[in-house]
Parts: sequence; structure tokens; C-alpha cells
Amino acid sequence: MTDTPKRDAIAFELFRNAIVALADEMSLTIYRASYSGVLKNIMDYSTALCDAEGRLVAQGLSLPGHLCSIPVALQAALAHFAGDIAEGDVITMNDPFQGGMHLPDIFVFRPLFHEGRIVAIAATICHHTDVGGRVAGSNASDSTEIYQEGLRIPPLKLHERGVPNATLLAIIERNVRVPDRVMGDLRAQLAACAIAERGMVDLVAAHGPDAVMALMQEVTDHTERMTRAAIAALPDGEAEFEDWIDDDQIDAGVPIRLFCRVTKRGDRMVMDWTGSSPQVKGAINNTLSYTRGASFTAAKCVLPPELPNNDGVFRIVDVIAPPGTIANAVLPAACAARGLTGFRMVDCAMGALAMLYPELVYAASDGGNTGISIGGWTKERRPFIYVDFLSGAWGGRPWADGLDGNTNMFANMASHSAEVIEAEQPLEVLCNEFVADTGGAGRYRGGVSIRRDWRFLEHEAVLQVRADRRTHRPYGLYGGEPGTPSLNMMNPGTEAEALLAAKLTMTIRNGDVFRHELPGAGGWGDPLTRDPEAVLADVVQELVTADAAARDYGVVLVAGKVDVVATEAMRERLTAARAWTATPRVSWTPWREAGQ
Amino acid sequence: MTASWRAGIDIGGTFTDIVLLSDEGAVRTRKVPSTVDDYARGIVEGLAVLLAEAAIAPDELAAVLHATTIGSNAVLERGGARTGLITTEGFRDTLEIRDLRMPRLYDVGWTKPPALVERRHRLGIAERTRADGTISRAPDEAEIEAAIGRLVDHGIESLAVCLINAHANGANERVVAAVAARIAPSLPVSLSHVVLPEIKEYPRTSTTVINAYLLPVVRAYLARLGNGMVSQRIAAPLMLMQSNGGLLPAAQAASLPMTIVESGPAAGVIGARALAQRLGIPRIVTFDMGGTTAKAAMVEEGEAARAAAFQVGGGIMQGSRLLTGGGYTLKVPAIDLAEVGAGGGSIVSLDAGGAPKVGPRSAGSRPGPVCYGFGGTEPTITDCALVLGWLDPAGLAGGAITLDRDAAAAALATRIAAPLGLTLEEAAHGMVRIAVATMMRAIRAVSVERGRDPRRFALFAFGGNGPLLGAAMAEELGMEAVMVPPAPGLFSAFGLLYADVEHHLSATFRGRLDKVSPTSFAAARNQLAAEAASRLADDGFPPARQAFTATAELRYVGQSSELPVALPEGDAAAVLAALPALFAAVHEQAFGYAAGPAEPVEIVAMQMIGRGIPVRPPVPERVVTDHRAAGGGSRRAYFGPHGWRDAPLLSRESAAAGAIGPAIVAEYDATCLVPPGWRVRGDAAGNLVLERG
Repeated sequence: MTDTPKRDAIAFELFRNAIVALADEMSLTIYRASYSGVLKNIMDYSTALCDAEGRLVAQGLSLPGHLCSIPVALQAALAHFAGDIAEGDVITMNDPFQGGMHLPDIFVFRPLFHEGRIVAIAATICHHTDVGGRVAGSNASDSTEIYQEGLRIPPLKLHERGVPNATLLAIIERNVRVPDRVMGDLRAQLAACAIAERGMVDLVAAHGPDAVMALMQEVTDHTERMTRAAIAALPDGEAEFEDWIDDDQIDAGVPIRLFCRVTKRGDRMVMDWTGSSPQVKGAINNTLSYTRGASFTAAKCVLPPELPNNDGVFRIVDVIAPPGTIANAVLPAACAARGLTGFRMVDCAMGALAMLYPELVYAASDGGNTGISIGGWTKERRPFIYVDFLSGAWGGRPWADGLDGNTNMFANMASHSAEVIEAEQPLEVLCNEFVADTGGAGRYRGGVSIRRDWRFLEHEAVLQVRADRRTHRPYGLYGGEPGTPSLNMMNPGTEAEALLAAKLTMTIRNGDVFRHELPGAGGWGDPLTRDPEAVLADVVQELVTADAAARDYGVVLVAGKVDVVATEAMRERLTAARAWTATPRVSWTPWREAGQ
Repeated sequence: MTASWRAGIDIGGTFTDIVLLSDEGAVRTRKVPSTVDDYARGIVEGLAVLLAEAAIAPDELAAVLHATTIGSNAVLERGGARTGLITTEGFRDTLEIRDLRMPRLYDVGWTKPPALVERRHRLGIAERTRADGTISRAPDEAEIEAAIGRLVDHGIESLAVCLINAHANGANERVVAAVAARIAPSLPVSLSHVVLPEIKEYPRTSTTVINAYLLPVVRAYLARLGNGMVSQRIAAPLMLMQSNGGLLPAAQAASLPMTIVESGPAAGVIGARALAQRLGIPRIVTFDMGGTTAKAAMVEEGEAARAAAFQVGGGIMQGSRLLTGGGYTLKVPAIDLAEVGAGGGSIVSLDAGGAPKVGPRSAGSRPGPVCYGFGGTEPTITDCALVLGWLDPAGLAGGAITLDRDAAAAALATRIAAPLGLTLEEAAHGMVRIAVATMMRAIRAVSVERGRDPRRFALFAFGGNGPLLGAAMAEELGMEAVMVPPAPGLFSAFGLLYADVEHHLSATFRGRLDKVSPTSFAAARNQLAAEAASRLADDGFPPARQAFTATAELRYVGQSSELPVALPEGDAAAVLAALPALFAAVHEQAFGYAAGPAEPVEIVAMQMIGRGIPVRPPVPERVVTDHRAAGGGSRRAYFGPHGWRDAPLLSRESAAAGAIGPAIVAEYDATCLVPPGWRVRGDAAGNLVLERG
């Protein structure tokens, strides 16, 4: 471990400020110039500056799930070209099996030169609305090999010595359903790279090329020192955790195992996914880079939030994932809908960390977003496609309730406005509301579910839903109860009401109402120790019913007040009834249903 | 007696700044302590004292212009009215679900700001308006009565109504309002289609709720202020500064309080805009640095850049304007201010990895910097400036606070200089440079985000600390000139005097430009203009003194965010035909590229600004401030690579006559630093101008 070079401490801080600001400016550029709502509303993109070897130095504000994708992809591209890179070249790629993640995520890299030498590399990744394949949006969870999923681009030059590669651009344009959006978003990525180039010219002018390269090294070294110190401050230990994805939609009803072992020794941490399921037929397989992103996201939640995102963190948190597993799939695995698995790996790694550090980690959240798409053709043969991602509940925390109506930690995304959906799509949104009694009971309650109902107004469409946590509910921790399962339903409250599977592809017709309810999040701590006044407040706000207050929390309410005596008696009764020999560390089913 | 003075009054957390300006250009300024229990009292008393001292009769006041933090404070401190919300069945939680996003990644400790209306006071009613404005279900009056009855029983003091698709047709909201007027006639009601007739239910709900939440508070405050003025025999009209930089008569501000939430920061920008315009300077960036934050805004060709929405209480943005969700969304056009948590009171420290840091923690005014002697132990930027010799140990605000240089030096030496192995002055200077780098991000945010190069702008520096670091900021950003206005430390109050009466209106109007009917386009534009004209007429502006600026929000079909494009005058069909090319030019400037002419462009909204043109320019060509400091002598001061130098202490007059840096211009309300390599002179409007070379 080396100290910050003291004479240069000020210059270092100034440089670090500048390079992080530059990565953020790239991010702003994409935000403002991009076409698609996926980028703008969901912010499913990232920008970064890397050193000449492709190591991440500064990442713009972005999706946590992209944390490791850029260096992995960039280093694969650099290896592919093996030095055959000239000034003015721009490289693109999306191949999950050569450093990418899933096909919609297209990378654009621009090496930044000074006098014939690469000083740094500007990097961007955007989730594009469509890259072809069998299903609009290129995001289907029921493809079984990558060849069904769309256009697969190995590392190629998008610009060669400043000249656009017309062949490649034409191939992309002909293979996607919405070429105006895809080409527009690619231009936004190029614009961000141009901003980076301008900024890097200024930095080189101010510091000189060698100093810039040395300072970039120091930025990551400094982060490494901070990360080591933060990890060293945690107690040593080892813990493992197992969680299950309901199924992959192809082998319906066959659960998929996720398994993570966290080992913390001194100033290093290892996250080992050995023991996770072999790769599956459905399109929820992860690449190693996404597994690493999920692992780092979980690790960062027990580290100080102000730690920068760069190579300095990656160096000292090791991630192990054997090839051929769902955590590190190989050809010809389908992976378009791997988002689900990423979210759930965060849950699983957090579970392992919760076993090690009970006071730092929350209970299971909603399990990540539900992906919903409704697409088809109008009677006039005009295409429509609606894609939305919903999430919303955080697990109860060791010190506070889980959040209601807040994005999952792994994807800081917004949802679409109901009024905009109605203005642009043949849909009417009937409901977007919390559901009472869905947050896992606990000393600290889990976040509640959100219900959304859509009525379809055109003649026919294909509805695709990728949800989970239907049979494997969001777990509660240390006595906390699990949250409620997710729910998909057609035409609720009518004679045609039908309960649907968590993952589905089906045809819907005019007037059909589709309902989705997100899972509720898990609770933390024994619900019978929850402050009765907090239970009362939830009842007053209609997030918990009076019945559930008595049943789950042993709190008896009379005339809008807590009946203290009756509550004590009720809690004694419940304590006896559940007959715990020890507080369960993890709960997958409410204790009343356990053993049934 | 003719009314020949106007007052500008700006409230801050510590001081209330009052500026009086005569038609002849005489200026009287005063900082008085803010009366936090009732800000109106401090204003009225301070104004009375200043009038008496200056021997100005109350009836000589022609107008009282006011910027207030009462709105933002009520939101930040959760001190607004107990508010109820009636919405469409199924959308009770729109206010709390928001857009789901959060401002902090990887932070399991994040807590959402609590909704301004608690869930039990948000009630849905069965009703429905379709996206096209047709009504598929009218509300049931009995259900509305029951809902309002329940809210009134719960002690609701203000009611917000936001129904789905009400921007397209407000009929169902008006039914709710009619029932409310019948059964609860004293309950103030804010309707979403009146407050913000724009698509997207969350921002419209949030904005309507903020309006309802503030309404009783602001109305009571303005009533107290009005009564206080009457008791002092001040009959001048009271006007409020809006977040967008225009003035609004007090009566209208009382019914649309959401327009005045960010009024203070806007006033300084408006003053800077007016001074720049008068001097023929086409492009400026304002830099307003106080004790805890620094704010930047961009003014181009006489117009301050505006944002369509902002977050109240979102915390200080840290170089990132994309991580929304920290505060309360207010979709009201506002001067686009970028803010960073760096000011004179920002604490300087070393992080866990040993790297130096400025902020985001601030010592505030209590305990304040170490040198204040109020118990502060952690050094701040002000302590650094004192150690460097930039500030006068004899004190601030005319000697109200004396500064302890030894204490500041000791704290800096042990906490920063020694661990870094730097000399005291190297450490202090380094920390100031880091503060400058932090604040640069605010300026880059407002300029680069719009595709503008800050080097083509002049820096307009004010606030208590703006003139101290203005030249350093300009140097880092490659800007050539810094302007420091008269009375820079209370320039926000001063800026009020330059503002015009303005009404900003908007409406959703959607369609592809090549398919929009010119008739409906003209009708929408005319309706907005008529509404603006009617409001201006209410304010006493005859048609000859009304000016209108219309803009369209445009995007390429497929894009999901818009750029504003000024609408040219003239025949609707010709305007529609010209817009794609105008849009392409704006897009090119903002993002460095434009799609080809074949790319379809769509319009999503239209905005109209109606401006009341004053009879004569509100501020004379040249103003002369009171509180003139004498200057004379010199002080040893440290300037980084230039080392320790003797810096002459100049009065504003001697600086205006021309001087070469290093020099220090110490005034009542701020200190202006002219570093080596910079010159200072005065301009025709009374500004100091710092230039390189």
C-alpha cells in the first residue's frame, strides 16, 4: 500500500474532480440527445473514461448493473484488435460471448490519442430499443439460443480513421425494427465520445500526457486504498446463501438455484457463485460481467456509499463464476432477459452478506423489475410497442422500514407516466397503487407491492411478461416475514378472471384487462417487537389492515388506538403459538404457513 | 410628493437585505437580521428604519419588490398546510410512487422525502377522462361530498385536485371544485388543470399539491406583510419575484404560490441579465457564492436559460443533475440554476484515502468558520481565505464580526497542512483551488449541458463570496472577464429592481409538425396569448405595453425529451413550415448534430411569456451605492505560484479608476480579489470589471 503522493495531493484531487465531471458530462450528453425512452426514463446506459489498457477510471452516473460491463467489453475489444487501432477509430460491439452482456446493450468506444499514442479511452453503453430477433424489443425471456435474439456484433470499427463504416451502419439499420431510434441513440453515443475527446484534450494540455496517465493510475490506486480500508474495517468471516428463481419459462416450474459464498479476510472479499445452476434454456443467463456487476453492487451496499466506481474496487473484490453456469453462460446460451438473474444475484449476495453482517443489510426487495411488453399492429397496419419495467419495494432494514414505491437498488429506473402511455399506446391504465398487507411483517416492515392494471384498446396484441418471485417469495431476515408473491391476472373481477403464470407470452384482445402486482418485500426482525404505534400508523395510512395488525404483529386496535393490554396478551399468545426455538435467520414462508 | 424610490427586499436565513433605489440612481442598502418567527415583521421594521434614516417619506415609495424563501422553507421544514388530495380511483399513490427514481445509488440508508399529503388524506373517486379529453365517466357528486367530508373531518386546510387526463379536459375537476365550494366554502382548492395544464400525472399532481400545501401559508404571510406596510403608511404595490425571474402582484402570488418557491436566486440572475444587456455583453454566466452553496445560471442574448421543472429540497446537486428523486417535483418554469454545496462555510478535510476534500459538509453560520470564534473547530474555505490574506481580520459586514487568523491557521495546520506535508499557505491555497474546481461543475452543468462553451461567456460574480473567487473561477474555466456589480453581497435584493412583470403560461399541444392543422395551432397560440394579455391587463398594462414571447417544445419523433424553440411571428402555416429547420439548428447547437430534413419533428407543448413593459427603464444608467469603504494601505497576501505579495487595499472608486493585480477591494458586503495577472476597471453601470493581462 502506498500513500497519496503528498506534494501532488491538491493536483490529484483537481484531476479526479475533472475526470469524474467529464464522465458525467458524457452521461448528460446521452441523456439529452438520445431518442428512446429506455435510455431517458430508465437511464439504461452508462458512460466512462478508461485508461489505455481499458481499466475503468471514472464512471458517469449510471446503472449499477453496468458497473463492470465496460472494462470487460473494452478489454475484449482491445485484445481483438491487438494494437490495430488508429486515431479516429471508433469501436462498437454487443456480443455477450466476447465481452458484452446481452444484444440490446451496444458499446461504443473511442480511443483518445495524443501524438499517436492512446492516452485514454471514452466508453459508452446504451440499451437499444430493438436489435432485431424474433420478438420486438429483443428482450424476450423465452428464446432458447442467442441466434434468436437479434443482431450479434463482434468488435468492429464503427468509424475507421474518422470515416463512418457505411457497411456496418447499413447492416444495423436493416436488422432492427426501429432504425430511427437505434441510429439516433448511436449518434448520441458518438456525441458523448466527442465530449470526452474535447475534455481530454484540455486535460492533456493542462497536465501533459504522461502526467494524465499517471494521475489516472493514481485515481484507481486511491480508490483501492479506500476500499481496502473499508473492507478491513469489517469483521472477517465466511457465509453462504441460496435463493431460487421460479423457472425460466421454458422448463416451467423447475426452480433455478443461485448460490453465493462470501469470504472476507483482511482487506479482501471473494464472492463465489460455484454451486449455482448450470446455464438454462430460457434467456435469463448471465455473462460474467453482469454477475460481477451484481456482486459489486451487493458489496458496495456494505461499504461507504461515497466510494468511487472504478478499477480500484474491482481489484480487491474477487468474483468467481464457473463457465457453463447461469452466472457465466457460454454459447449458445440465450441471455436477453438476464436482467432478472442480475437482480436476483444481488438479492442472493446480499443474503450472504446479511449472514455475515446482520446489522448492515436489508431483507429481500421485490426481486427486481417486472418487464412487460405489449406489441402488435393496428388495424391500419401501423406497429405499436409498449415496454415498461416496474419495481418498487425495498426490504425492511435493520434500522428502518423498507421503502414503498422506490426503484430497486440495482436499476435506478423510472416508470412511464400513465397519461403518456394512454396518449401514445392503445392502452388505458386503470390503476397504479399500493396494495395493503403485502410488505413482509417485521420489526421493520418490508415495502408494499404496487398494482398496475392495463386495458387493451386495439384489436389484438402479444403480451409478454417477465416476472418472478411467484413461488419463491422475497425472504425476510432475522424473524421478519417474507413479502407477498407477484401476481399476474387477466380480467380481474369478471367472469373471465384468470390467474396467469409469472412469465408468459400470450395474445390479448380488445377490452382485456391485464393486472400485475409486484412482490412485496421481506420484513426485518421479529414483527412482534415492532413498535405498536408504527403498526397503528400503517393501519391509519391503510398500508396494513387492522386484521393483519392483529394477525401478523399482535397489535390490537380499539377505536383508532393501541389497546396496550390486549396487545401484550395477543403477542404472548402468538409467541407461544409459533414456538420458535431460535429466531429464524431467513424466512421464505410466513411461520403460520410453514410446514403446510 | 412624487413616488421616486423603489425597494428590493430579499430574505435569507440570517439576513434580510434591503435596497432602496431612487429614480436618480441613488442607492441605500441595509442588512438587517431576519426575524425567523415572522419574516414580515423584520421586513417592515427594517424598511421603516431605512426610510427614516434616509429621510424618505413612505409615500415616496413607488413599489416594493420582494424575493422570499417562505415557500421553499415551508416545503423543507414541512411547515405547509394540512393538505388533502382528490384523485382518480386507482391513482391514490401517484404522489408517493413518483417516478420511482432515487438520487443516491448503492445507499441502503436512503429515505424518501415523505409525501406532502399523507396516504389517508389521498382519496380516489370513480371518474374518468380519456387521453383525448372526452369524458368516459363523470364523477358522482355524492362520492365527492363523502370524500371532502372525510378530509374536512380530518382537519384539512387546503385541497388539491388532480384527476387523470385533466390537462386535456378539466370538466371533472371543476365538478369537484363546485362540490367543495358548496360544502366547504372556506377551503382553498387548487385544480391541476389550472395550476399546470400539462400531461404526466406525477409532475402535475406534485405541483398541484405543492401549490395547495403552500397556499394558506403564503397567503397569511403576504397578508401580514401587507398589513405591516399599511401600518407604516406604505401604499406602494407589493410584487413578488417568481422562480422564472418575472414579477407577480402579491394577490396572484397568494393564489399560485408554487410560482415563487425559488424567488431569491432568480432575482440575482435577473439583475445580472439587465446589467449585461445594458452594457451590450451578449453572454454571461452568473456565479452566486454564499456561505453554504454556489449557484450558476446562463444568460444568452438577454435571456436567462430556463428549466421546465426542478426539485424543491432535493439537496445540493453534486455535479449531477440526472439523479432526481431527492426532493419534491415542481414543474414550473424557473431560471435554470445549478447549485453545488460549496461556499465560504464549506468544511475542508481529508478523506479516508488521504485525499483533500471541500464540503459537502458546511459549518453554516453557527458554529461557522474557525475564525469566527463561535466554537467552530473544522477549517472552512473562509478560514483558508483569511490565512491567505485575502480577507481583512478586522472583519465582515462593517466590523460586525472580527476574524481570528491565528485560530484559523492553527486548525488548517494540524488538520490539513501537516498530514499533507504542505506549508500552511500551500494547503490553504490548494483547498481554495479544490473549492473552485467543485464550483466549476455548476457552471459547466448550465453551459456544457446546453452545448455552450463557457470560454465564450463573461462571469458575473456576486453573493458574499462570489467576488472573492470570481477571478479564480474565470481562470480555471478559460473565461476572459469577470464583472462584479455594485453591492455584490446583497445583489439579489438589487436584482429585484430590474425585473419586469411576467406571466408564464403553458399548454400541452401534441402532433407531428407536418400533420398539425394550422388552424388548431393558431388557436392554441392565440388562446395562450389572450390569457397572458388578460392577466397583464389586470396588472395595469394596456395593450401597447404588453410583449409576448412564444416557444414550442419540439423533438424528433421517437425522442423522449424536448428542446424549446422560439416561435416566430406570423401566419401559422408558415411558422409550422419553418419550425423543422429552426429546431435542427437548436439541436445542432445543443448536441453537435441534427438529423436530416426528412426526419419528422413533433411538437409536444407550447409556452407563452407575457411581459409588462415598464414606462421607463426601471433602473437608471448609473447607480451610486452608500457604505463606501475608504481603502488605502496594503496587505500581504498569498497567490499560489506568485507567492506572497503586497496587495494594495482599494476602495471601489479607486479600483474603478483602474488598477493592476494583486489588489483587494474590500466593501461593506463583500471582498473582491484581483489576483496577479488580472487588471480591474469600472464600467458605465458601476460594475467592477476584472480582465486578464
